[in-house]
Amino acid sequence: MRLHTSLRLAAVVAATALLATACSSGGDDTSGDSTGSSGGKVELTFWTWAPGMEEVVDAWNAKNPDIHVTVNKQDGGDPAVTKLLTAIKAGSGAPDVFQTEYQKIPTLVSSDALADIADVLPDGTKDHFAAGTWEAVTLGSDAVYGVPQDSGPMELYYREDIFQQYGLQVPTTWEQYAQVAEQLHTADPTKYLGTFSATDAGWFTGLTQQAGASWWGIDGDAWSVDIDSEATNKVAQYWGDLVEKGVIDNKPMYTPEWNAALNDGTQAGWVSAIWAPGVLQGNAPDTAGKWKMAPMPQWSEGDDATGNWGGSASSVTTQSKHPKEAAEFIAWMNSDQEAVTILAQKGGLYPADLPGQAEALASPPEFFSNQPDFYTVAADIATTVQPFTYGPNVNVAYSAYNDEFGKATEAKQASAFLDAVAAMQKATVDDLTSSGFTVKD
Amino acid sequence: MTTTLTRPPVAVTHPGPTKERRQRPSTRATLVLLLGAAYCLLPVLWVVTASTKSAGELFTTFTLAPSTHLWENVQELSAYRGGLFWRWMANTALYAGVGALLSVAVSAMAGYGLAKYQFAGKRAIFNVILAGVLVPGVILAIPQYLLLAEVGLTNTYWSVLLPSIISPYGIYLSRIYAAASVPDDVLEAARTDGAGEWRTFSRIAVPMMVPGLVTVFLFQFVAIWNNFMLPYIMLGNDRLFPITVGLSGLLNQGASQPAMYTSVITGALLSIIPLAALFLTLQRYWQVDLAAGAVKA
Amino acid sequence: MTSLATTVTAGTAAVPAGRRRRRLAPYAYLAPAMVLFTLFLALPIGYALYLSFRTVKVSGLGLGKGARTEVWAGFDNYARALTDPAFVASVGRVVVYGLILVPTMLGLALLFALLLDARRTGAKGFSRVSIFLPYAVPAVIASLLWGFLYLPRVSPFYYVFDRLGWDVPDILSPGLVMFAIANIGLWGGVGFNMIVIYTALKAIPSELYEAARLDGASEVAIAWRIKVPVVMPSLILTFLFSMIATLQVFAEPMTLRPLTNTISSTWSPLMTVYRDAFTRDDIYSAAATSVVIAVATFALSFGFLRLVQRRAFAQEG
Repeated sequence: MRLHTSLRLAAVVAATALLATACSSGGDDTSGDSTGSSGGKVELTFWTWAPGMEEVVDAWNAKNPDIHVTVNKQDGGDPAVTKLLTAIKAGSGAPDVFQTEYQKIPTLVSSDALADIADVLPDGTKDHFAAGTWEAVTLGSDAVYGVPQDSGPMELYYREDIFQQYGLQVPTTWEQYAQVAEQLHTADPTKYLGTFSATDAGWFTGLTQQAGASWWGIDGDAWSVDIDSEATNKVAQYWGDLVEKGVIDNKPMYTPEWNAALNDGTQAGWVSAIWAPGVLQGNAPDTAGKWKMAPMPQWSEGDDATGNWGGSASSVTTQSKHPKEAAEFIAWMNSDQEAVTILAQKGGLYPADLPGQAEALASPPEFFSNQPDFYTVAADIATTVQPFTYGPNVNVAYSAYNDEFGKATEAKQASAFLDAVAAMQKATVDDLTSSGFTVKD
Repeated sequence: MTTTLTRPPVAVTHPGPTKERRQRPSTRATLVLLLGAAYCLLPVLWVVTASTKSAGELFTTFTLAPSTHLWENVQELSAYRGGLFWRWMANTALYAGVGALLSVAVSAMAGYGLAKYQFAGKRAIFNVILAGVLVPGVILAIPQYLLLAEVGLTNTYWSVLLPSIISPYGIYLSRIYAAASVPDDVLEAARTDGAGEWRTFSRIAVPMMVPGLVTVFLFQFVAIWNNFMLPYIMLGNDRLFPITVGLSGLLNQGASQPAMYTSVITGALLSIIPLAALFLTLQRYWQVDLAAGAVKA
Repeated sequence: MTSLATTVTAGTAAVPAGRRRRRLAPYAYLAPAMVLFTLFLALPIGYALYLSFRTVKVSGLGLGKGARTEVWAGFDNYARALTDPAFVASVGRVVVYGLILVPTMLGLALLFALLLDARRTGAKGFSRVSIFLPYAVPAVIASLLWGFLYLPRVSPFYYVFDRLGWDVPDILSPGLVMFAIANIGLWGGVGFNMIVIYTALKAIPSELYEAARLDGASEVAIAWRIKVPVVMPSLILTFLFSMIATLQVFAEPMTLRPLTNTISSTWSPLMTVYRDAFTRDDIYSAAATSVVIAVATFALSFGFLRLVQRRAFAQEG
């Protein structure tokens, strides 16, 4: 009995001590509402998940003692958006600055989460970026909802050593890609040139983007949904055939299994984006120097198009009490040479800032030390990204992609791939209509 | 144990001297139990061996073959953003420790009130409390967030602590322990001696309930330690995260970043150790008696 | 609270005051629990109920301020939830999941508990701790660990099967993924339920079966004929709580989903709620679906609760 009492006493004491720490440190950590006072230090919070952010923020904080930024690292992608939207609905808890993936911007704007910073943005920021990239943050209007940070133009990555081993040619068209895939798989049934991932909607979107698709469109006061377009079906049919024949794998990317496959060569290629070196470095460090990057295969010989996978902008939220300072910060972070260089080198990002690219990307990534002109080639590719408009319910379309293409890849039937596209169209249109949007046919 | 009398020659269902049966352990029974133990230990074994591997080895070597990089992995995990992982551990200990302690206090009082008194509305109140078990956390998360946002408490330690205190299951268990371990006559004696209700409760009933309350504490401790949904929704500041949310963040870095598998696995191992130690040291309190008293009827 | 803690000298005028305090006491003891319950369970549920009758309508392109307004929706959300084929499918799926998991888990828990209670079993201490250990692992982590053990290329099982030349089907294939998920639930839950049943077994006075032992009954017969019936109340309660928990399965399929093609985003009812609330940003549908789930679970448990009350609290005054 005595032991229990003293145990409980100790626990209570410890708890009280912890609680005291909790209360005090809880107060120090800003909860998103800046504690700015007139003439005092401005505190900004920044929700992000990309690496390298802290180094950039440290550099800013050193230069700007009166505007202090704190990084709060979140789960990547959807979860962060959900938390932001919940905070917006609740009226408090949102950060000042948020990392906004391009495909999420319409959703966020339509939930009134992003502030229009056209008036407070430093002059000339717009000129740092390509027209297409800038459009992603303005949605074609006069408002500005963010400053582009990085982009993800897509390329083909392949294992040079395996290509040499089996005498394969680097494909420049999709027709050639199919042939090489078959060659490789016939020569060694354990190896695949790639996989069709039903869990990576952004990847598939980029592929259709290259083929000329644009899944949403604005027509006056109405949205249009064009997932079930000729371009998308062409891409779906193509990959469906490859999976049905068995020359392309049907397993998701970014799984432990896929990582193992990157390591042992059973995945000998990867259609990916400019940030691939970081992922390969993290998942398959022992294969450094064995990979090479080439432009994506084209639909017609001599064509020059690619898609975009990933990339984000930095935006100011509508709950920020210091939009001017926040806009200053994000403009600096995404267009100042020093900042852009840190982003590129520490964060592995491909900066959208045109003037800053040359210096930031002077040398190839470590993982691709065997390809010195890596970034030169990438810069050319980046100019060929095709236009694409995202709608207000991208999540619904992506979720439908996961479910429908999950079934299709498991079934390994090309016809199922086409069915999946149709199902995606239907789900997206239905969701828009039921939310009250006007949808044009 | 009781002594065995010599059996009458008539009832011979199992021939053989009783002495021998009592000493020799049954291999079959032991084997079945050990199989169960092996099944339960396998993933733990996996985590132990996997956390000894470096990132390069994780996907290239046989899963159960250990390597030598455990210390480096721990160092890498500790270095992540300036020791954030250990802050997550401290946070989790805070949420679980303080939360469970407060929960026990509330549950003990509620359980005692339900078990030892007759009053109007007793059944209704108990049924309502128990209905709380039926409501899953996923459903409550957003409304709880919205309500706490009204008072500006989101993204603080309180936002995770406060909702964790109320535990219908804990109240249910406390009621059973109160009924089973506190005899009415002892309470009556105390009352006749002139002790007030609170004194009776705190000085007499609670000490009798302590073994059961420790179980309730452990149960709630584990529940809060392992909770994911509530802190996930409530917290935006990653310095307040518990381990579950923190580790899941390491896995979900977005498509353009590799998932930090090695760190997650090492972190998972490190997070299991405190709970495992807790189990081992407080083994004798793991007596979850759901239907105490029904047996003695 | 302190107002009740008066030390009263024996006898005299203390009696009526004491009796009044005694009448009020239970309410005081229940007060903290009821306040917290109201704040963090009842109010959120009420709010969710309120939300389930509302929805959001969009004007124009829906971009910018004022484009969205919350309006009354009547029973629309409920109609949509109940007729949503994904939701209906998820309910069917989770019932099958429960029917696979719960009897297996309780059967094993009972078996292990009986073995722990038997006289002739060895390695009791080690086994008890080992089997209980998975309870210390959060569902998200457990699913990740088992994910590694399931994926053929990184799994030690498939490695061994490969070496032995066996062609074992992929456990994450459409036909078997249900078992893959159930296994994680089993792994995590069997230890806790074992402890519950074991506690009840230990409470059985040994006189009850010593007589049977003297008559020469085997341990198995004693277990089956005497012990199991006596701990039936605990078994029933464990069955109820396990069933409720399995119907709310969420973390395991969510964590396994990115690893395979065979788990849809609406695999379990709670995943449907999650999809509505977080992916479709439609908290109104999510609220309606949640209410449906909660009501159904409550209805199912109501009969059990009535049975339990009578048998479990027999010894209270």
